[in-house]
Amino acid sequence: MPESVDGVPSPHPDGPLSGYRILDLADEKGQLCARVLGELGADVIKIEPRAGDRTRANGPFFRDEEGRESSLYWWAMNAGKRSVTCELRLDAGRELFHRLVASADAVIETSAPGTAKDTGADPRTLATVNPGAVVVSITNFGQTGPARNLPATDIVGSAMGGHMYLNGSDERGPVRTTAPQAYAQVNFQAAVGTVTALYARGMHGMGQHVDVSMQEAMANAMDNAQQTWDILQINNRGPGSGRMVSGRVGPRYIYEASDGWVAALGLGGLAGPSSAAMIDWLEETGEAGPLATPHWRERLEVVQPLEPHEQDLIVGIVEKFCRTRRKDDLVRQAQARGAGWAPVYSPREIVESYQLEARDYWVQVRHEDLGETFVYPGAPWKLSATPWKQRGRAPHLGEHNEAVYGEVLGLDPGDIARLRRTMVI
Amino acid sequence: MSSNCRSGKPRPFEGLRVTDLSWVGVGPTVAKYLADHGAEVIRVESATRMETLRRAGPFPDNEPHYDNSGYYANFNSSKLGITINLKTDKGKKLLKRLVASSDVVTESFTPGSLKKLGLDYEELRKVRPDLVMISMPLFGQTGPWAHYMGYGHVLQAASGFNHLTGWPDGEPIGTGVAYTDFLVPHIGAIALVAALDYRRRTGEGQYIDFSQFEGAIHALGTSILEWTANGREAGRLGNRDPEAAPHGAYRCKDGRYVVIACFTEQDWEGFRAAIGRPDWSDLERMRRKWSRLNEQKEIDRHIDAWARELTATQAYKAMRDHGVPSGIVKSPEDMHRDPQLKHRGHYARLEHPTMGLRTYDSPAFRLSKTPGGPWKAAPLLGEDTEAVLKGTLGMSDEEFTELLVEGVLE
Repeated sequence: MPESVDGVPSPHPDGPLSGYRILDLADEKGQLCARVLGELGADVIKIEPRAGDRTRANGPFFRDEEGRESSLYWWAMNAGKRSVTCELRLDAGRELFHRLVASADAVIETSAPGTAKDTGADPRTLATVNPGAVVVSITNFGQTGPARNLPATDIVGSAMGGHMYLNGSDERGPVRTTAPQAYAQVNFQAAVGTVTALYARGMHGMGQHVDVSMQEAMANAMDNAQQTWDILQINNRGPGSGRMVSGRVGPRYIYEASDGWVAALGLGGLAGPSSAAMIDWLEETGEAGPLATPHWRERLEVVQPLEPHEQDLIVGIVEKFCRTRRKDDLVRQAQARGAGWAPVYSPREIVESYQLEARDYWVQVRHEDLGETFVYPGAPWKLSATPWKQRGRAPHLGEHNEAVYGEVLGLDPGDIARLRRTMVI
Repeated sequence: MSSNCRSGKPRPFEGLRVTDLSWVGVGPTVAKYLADHGAEVIRVESATRMETLRRAGPFPDNEPHYDNSGYYANFNSSKLGITINLKTDKGKKLLKRLVASSDVVTESFTPGSLKKLGLDYEELRKVRPDLVMISMPLFGQTGPWAHYMGYGHVLQAASGFNHLTGWPDGEPIGTGVAYTDFLVPHIGAIALVAALDYRRRTGEGQYIDFSQFEGAIHALGTSILEWTANGREAGRLGNRDPEAAPHGAYRCKDGRYVVIACFTEQDWEGFRAAIGRPDWSDLERMRRKWSRLNEQKEIDRHIDAWARELTATQAYKAMRDHGVPSGIVKSPEDMHRDPQLKHRGHYARLEHPTMGLRTYDSPAFRLSKTPGGPWKAAPLLGEDTEAVLKGTLGMSDEEFTELLVEGVLE
């Protein structure tokens, strides 16, 4: 694979998906899916209109300066891809695009069902152009059913997918995670569908259509609430800072530390197998109160229902204990005593995590166009034979027109100049 | 397996055998993908160390029994279930025999547990050189947190979801579920299937060290770059979005909530039409999104008042009829009655030997030519031990009885 002038994307011949070519026509529902497949070795080509993909206008922007190449959203979701421009509304553009489709192993598209016929990018046309390809269609509600054409964004996916109902509290209502999770979920689940179809293609020798629904992706994030309704006809709902079990809000699981918050289930590990060691800890610092007595030690050893006033007593002790201590210290000590605590980390704290540093997690990504280097998330998996690889910054608009149209389609510089003049690319 | 060919169409993972040593949520969900798509997945458990989820509800009639957990069942559709006591020497040998005839091993123990049993990748690849094995504990195989314990309800805290879920003036409540348990299995499955495809093409197996924490970070959108490139930390914004106005969940008169998201001017015009173009919506400061973003308090007050007069269905229909991205915040009960999900057959209904007809989650994707989906209810504890050992491994009646008597199959 020839590199662009800037060496973006960097080659990745050792990935498990190396050798596959994937076309990316996707919006927020599929760009991360395509990126991840590229990081596993596929040659991912982003197809954009000449004015640029709509999502290049998604904020936030680098240094808050809006521009076609400065969207942090674009950077995050399209890093390591190649970009070509192609006007699918022109006959010549569709013809060019279909030649690329003919060379691809998979196409990822997110058009609303029935709307992309005039661009030649609808699933049926794509399958006709290349019957051997895996065509992945990622939509709000799927290709079929009464809701198939309804508009949706992340919060609609969270709401209609049943996940949002389980977040929030009775007082303030349901709440969405600010970093879009319906989008994240459908991207990852679509990627599972894509690699599954690529595997099936290898085994059975045929391309096929992969029909992915954002609503269903979110429905799969309902914990056990789906079965709790099926089996007990109980609606779980948002439990605030507690935990919901069979329609009842349990005691809080987050506690304020001197420098933030910690998360700890099971009354901070004071109930169940870790209780003895945890009570020892409180006793060492003189903060155990009544819990140091044989009565409480015995009572907490085995997980059993506690009266509300008993829970309140224990929660009060844990709250007071945490408030004067740093969260990393609390977590380290609790873990040493067999209680599964974790700190509540912000993005900055995640970047500064010593666990991730020890794992050599982060990657430095060179933005030679800006003369700067930025830290990006690293390998989600360490594969022993075929490593994950970050492939460099996101592409500029049409950055790889020459490389792709020349190398993949065999066009010469004259052809490419003509396409440019006629505003096809 | 022929019984899973309901449609007569081939299944993607037909012919693959998986030894599933994983437990609780994440690992079993990764193996469920393979099982639901045609692999023969053999879930290995032991009565001497009961799977946590078999003890967690919901249980029919609220009567706890290890065979009747709906929580366990959902993650283990389409699998076979066997029991082996891996603390016995014969149990370890037996597991190696099973792995020798398997293509994949999945596991999610605390790092080092399998090594202690002599059953880590280095040992298992000796009996199956082209094995693909994935380990998926919370924090990976190495580092100071490698041995940390916890569940998805707590991992969501470390991986940023608490910080990013809740109201700006409130606690970092996080999602109400064990969130990462329902996120990272998909990420794990991507690498596992990619490794299987590589093995299909080259014959080479490999080991995948998957840290749930490191996978989950990739679901944080732009939050990491906002810090590393802009030096600014994203926070929790309730139901607001930095790019849309209005954007929120609004309580209706029946106590249910409608969500409305206006990212474009077209959305906004549709929204105005849906609420009858009141005067406030025509004010100068409401005409452009960048200026509306500063007026969200006022906009939300107007929408709250509007929504209070309508049922959620009425409010949703008004928005929908004007092309505005909107929806109802659906309860678990609503989800079971949702006509779209019904049409899609999202909840598979499968007959379980003791729990009866129960619903199981299906994959979010449908493959047109090699379809998948749950096809068999979850196994009872040890339900298939005899069939797998005698059938798949060709064990004699004598040997099976001997192992049974010696407690190897507990």
